[in-house]
Amino acid sequence: MNSRILYVIYKECIHIVRDPRTLAVMFLIPVVQVILLGYAVTTDVEHLPTIVLDQDLTPQSRDLIAAYRASNYFDITRYASSEEELGRLIDAGRYRAGLIIPAGYGRSLQKTGRAQVSFVIDGSDPTVASTALPAAQTIAQAQSLELAAELIGLDPTDLPGIEVHPRVWYNPDMKSVNFMIPGLIALILQFLTTLFTSMSIVREREQGTMEQLIVTPIRPPELILGKVAPYVAISLFDLAEILVIGVFWFSVPINGSVALLLALSVLFLLTTLGMGILISTIARSQQQAMFLSLFTLMPSIFLAGFFFPLEAMPQVLQWMSYVVPLRYMLIIVRGIVLKGVGLRILAGEVLAIAIFGVFIFSVAARRFRKRLE
Amino acid sequence: MIRRTVAITRKEIIHIVRDPRTLAIMFLMPVMQLILFGYAATTDIEHLPTVVLDQDRTLQSRELVDAYRASNYFDILFYVRSETELGRLIDGGQAKAGVIIPAGYGRHLTAENQASIAFVIDGSMPAVASTAFSAAQTVAQAQSTVLIQRVYGIEVEEQPGIDVRPRVWYNPDMKSANFMIPGLMAMILQVQSTILTALSIVREKEEGTIEQLIVTPLRSVELIVGKVTPYMVISLFNLMEVLLIGVFWFGVPINGNILLLLALGLLALLVSLGIGLFNSTIASTQQEAIFLTFFLMLPFMFLSGVFFPLEATPKVLQWISYFIPLRYLLVIVRGIILKGAGLSILWDQAAALSIFAIVMLALAASRFRKRL
Repeated sequence: MNSRILYVIYKECIHIVRDPRTLAVMFLIPVVQVILLGYAVTTDVEHLPTIVLDQDLTPQSRDLIAAYRASNYFDITRYASSEEELGRLIDAGRYRAGLIIPAGYGRSLQKTGRAQVSFVIDGSDPTVASTALPAAQTIAQAQSLELAAELIGLDPTDLPGIEVHPRVWYNPDMKSVNFMIPGLIALILQFLTTLFTSMSIVREREQGTMEQLIVTPIRPPELILGKVAPYVAISLFDLAEILVIGVFWFSVPINGSVALLLALSVLFLLTTLGMGILISTIARSQQQAMFLSLFTLMPSIFLAGFFFPLEAMPQVLQWMSYVVPLRYMLIIVRGIVLKGVGLRILAGEVLAIAIFGVFIFSVAARRFRKRLE
Repeated sequence: MIRRTVAITRKEIIHIVRDPRTLAIMFLMPVMQLILFGYAATTDIEHLPTVVLDQDRTLQSRELVDAYRASNYFDILFYVRSETELGRLIDGGQAKAGVIIPAGYGRHLTAENQASIAFVIDGSMPAVASTAFSAAQTVAQAQSTVLIQRVYGIEVEEQPGIDVRPRVWYNPDMKSANFMIPGLMAMILQVQSTILTALSIVREKEEGTIEQLIVTPLRSVELIVGKVTPYMVISLFNLMEVLLIGVFWFGVPINGNILLLLALGLLALLVSLGIGLFNSTIASTQQEAIFLTFFLMLPFMFLSGVFFPLEATPKVLQWISYFIPLRYLLVIVRGIILKGAGLSILWDQAAALSIFAIVMLALAASRFRKRL
């Protein structure tokens, strides 16, 4: 049995090596993804291009503009001379925010202690808008507090108040890359193994070479194991690649056990390989296999909480996420890498992917055997 | 010429119709994506599971906890007695945030008017953490205002201050769906049609039928036009699908001109067509074509601003993004739908797309002819 599996592996390796371009892509995809996710995936909004319309032109209005300029959030690079100009520039997307200080602002502030300004924000991207809006309000609030203190005759630091000391756990610098890279490990495992397994099996069927394999003494389990083994090796190699780049380039800390991470990744592969084999028994062409893989992958990415927090989704989608194996794997990977937790805390998730793995793989193996017979 | 092109189109349609499963997926994919983009792509966190450790147990501490409870952001699900217990709940992921009110909080507040609390937040997801943290501060600040009022007897309304009146343009309710669904339209125009074009030509290569096509009197232009027409139609159909569901189900307002959107959408399809053709001249198997396309599409998705604001990326990546056609298409689609912008504002983006279309098609056509 062993030598027969080896032959199938050998044959599959020849296939892979004969197509050096795909091979290169397989090794490069994780690198590109790590770099993109490491640098491009961030919602930290800073230096938002901001335009100011100062219709007041008093020391008070200049103070307020200086306060906005001093914050990290807003880059004031242009003064508009009219509301139309401000509107046009925001319409064109050159500026995302606009501060309008109406005439009489300084006078009203001196007389009544109160004044109003308008803050225009491009709301198309709600994430940006919802961060920028509170930031704008906080700046004005700080200015107001100073005014209040002056009025009462107190030092602003002596004003009554409750101070909130933040303690950010697991990812103290709140770096997006620390969140994305562990997730990427789980995602790459699923993406590569499911897609490659399904396509490599369907290719044999599409080209008619499956029949030739069936008439050999190779048994179905040997065929499956032999065909998936090289892809398991490649995906584990990719996993190591991501870990190495993550740790040494992006300095993602690994707080938990790497051995546990590897062991649970192998367990997770049972699920993803099973899905690949299952898809190969359904698809009749490589195109179908690709589309079916994508069709299962897309919802996984969203419903597992890869980019967007599960808590923000509607309840129905949160329930659906329980049948997405990637959900559990993401909790495991992020738990081990970021929180440094062990099996005791992750027991529930490990059990879940073990059940998924055994179930999906055995269903897939049974269907695969039926199709051969 | 037209007769031969039509013949090729008919042949391709037969291919497509004979594979009803792929056809079904092609039409279902946008619907699924729409549901995911419309509902799941949001970072608006509310009701974050929160644990409270009140070591003070005074009137003041209870007031603060009530203030947190009253806010929409935090769902206080657990009260614990020790920091280890709090740590375990956050480690296990049952709670994402924790409020720790130290003993003496109430006394400090009455004696010195000032006190501090600790706010623990699971920082693994920075987007959630930073929103939650500013929410926590806002709650505390509101409490502070109440205190100022009590101590100095100033009415809140009469307090001196600068009132910032927000005006949220284009998407006043700040709904994620309004941002994501136009993004999805752009992605469908760009990603799906590129894959389909590349695959349809590489399949002929892989199966060896391209030789049979070459010996016919077909010219290469006719072959290309005939083969890709059905996929262009499918992509346009998908676009309409997304547009209709977006408007009637998700209530996305279309503020601009739909005809302009369709016209520029067609322009974008030409770009995808060029990229797809170009890929098909490089790849010799379908697997290769798929991976090549994926490889290209990854930067497309992340460096164009579909999901994440471009302003937040490093400068180098922002420069690279100028070479990604999806970047311009996104500005166009979002501009037309959300801002109601017209050609007078979007002309430079449209010009950029046209340049891409011409360059990519010319490049692909010259390589394609050589290969034939």
